[in-house]
Amino acid sequence: MKAVILDGIVLGLGFGLLGVGMTLVYGLGGVLNLAHGEVAVLAAIVVAQAMAGGIPTAVAAVIGVLAATSAALLLDLTLMRPVYRQTGGHRVLLGLLLTLGVAFMIEGALTWRDPLGALSINVPGRPISVLGVPMAAGSVWASVIALAVAAALLVFFGATIFGRAVRSVIQDELGARLVGISPALVRAVIFALSGGLAGVVAVTQSMTAPLTVNAGFNLTVTALIVSVVGGLGSVAGAFLAGVLLGIVDSVSAYYIGRYITSIVLLGAAVLTILVWPRGLLGSLQG
Amino acid sequence: MLAAGYLGQRVVDGIDLEVRPGEAVAIIGSNGAGKTTLFRAIAGLLRPMAGRVILDGRDVTRWPAQRMAKAGVAYVPAERHLFGAMTVKTNLMLGAYPTRPDRETLESVFEIFPLLRERLQQRAVTLSGGQQQMLAVARALMGRPRLLMLDEPSTGLAPKLAKDAFDALAGLKGTGVTLLVAEQQVPLALSVADRGYVLENGRISLDGTPRELDQNPEVRRAYLGIG
Repeated sequence: MKAVILDGIVLGLGFGLLGVGMTLVYGLGGVLNLAHGEVAVLAAIVVAQAMAGGIPTAVAAVIGVLAATSAALLLDLTLMRPVYRQTGGHRVLLGLLLTLGVAFMIEGALTWRDPLGALSINVPGRPISVLGVPMAAGSVWASVIALAVAAALLVFFGATIFGRAVRSVIQDELGARLVGISPALVRAVIFALSGGLAGVVAVTQSMTAPLTVNAGFNLTVTALIVSVVGGLGSVAGAFLAGVLLGIVDSVSAYYIGRYITSIVLLGAAVLTILVWPRGLLGSLQG
Repeated sequence: MLAAGYLGQRVVDGIDLEVRPGEAVAIIGSNGAGKTTLFRAIAGLLRPMAGRVILDGRDVTRWPAQRMAKAGVAYVPAERHLFGAMTVKTNLMLGAYPTRPDRETLESVFEIFPLLRERLQQRAVTLSGGQQQMLAVARALMGRPRLLMLDEPSTGLAPKLAKDAFDALAGLKGTGVTLLVAEQQVPLALSVADRGYVLENGRISLDGTPRELDQNPEVRRAYLGIG
């Protein structure tokens, strides 16, 4: 049981890392980025090809994260501009359709260029004992990276001027403009950051299991569930929800079966919307 | 001659308004006269349909609100738009965006609104209406604005608190900040103003010193219920 829960935590930290990028973008402007998972896959394929070209793993990983960051920034500066000019329901809908289109384009292009593409990063080292349970070195490293990113994000949003500016746009966009904050600038930076985080997810996930070219859809759905459960726009909420859902996933996969876990996770999201519409930490954001 | 409105309809039109450095100017007018529309157009939240907005000789007509704020034009809307879930302190810090707030400004703000010093760790949403109004003005002051625009600062305040708010504004006048206040409570507005404009159905119908406006039979009849 202890091992199952630890596995869940490892999985959940990855979920949190995946969800946090989507939740921030949503909190800032009401856009659910359905291309989020595909950006991660894009990063994975870039890393895989760089490694195949003889570039050291660490350098390749950095290149992949940068590629994802640039792709997201480009997306924000081009296709997302008309979306943010809309308001209310139109913005939500246009955002969904456009990012879905982008997801198809990225998936199509990657599958066409590299149909068997997959990223697998082998972390050398013997299993590390955590609370008496031997954990694969890859799992431990992936979790450490996720925790470090979570800590960095919390410091960034809690203690820096720009981080506070981001939170102010989430809370009251007009109020933010009145103190001189440009929502467009904040959104561009966060969209790029969200892309970078998707790149980090690609790297950490491939430390535990291969990330294949067709994984994008599942990643996006997971990110969506984590965002909803954690509270849209909340960094701490995304990681908390990620870990809880990771444990749920791992336990249900162990005791019921893997086929049922996606349904259990979706059920958790639906339940959250019904019982706690703002998510775990959505109302505490700020 | 500024004009602005919504969906092609001009709410305010033919506005000729001037505010000189260091002055306190009041815009008085009843509900629906167009005070908020006029302010939104000046502050960059609403693109004017005609005319120009000039700041220090520079045409700033199409500047968005965030750029106007950085250029020293602080607008405090009647709804305040505070960051409710954040503390008073964070609200004040964001007022100084993009720089860190300096001691001196913070101290001068606390001098005007001493109560805020005691509430620094409290979340803005938990403040009373009067305190929120103070915080909104204080947040605007943190950016060291040259022009402070206040839309109906008496909104939602009991008469005594509204009077206190205007007393605080009167205290601001000596500090070099230029004031533009929209208010439907004419006596309050005229108590701080050096000059006033009367806005009626989207147009300026009168202007003059508080004394002139106060004595004007039209103003007395329409806004003071006298005559």
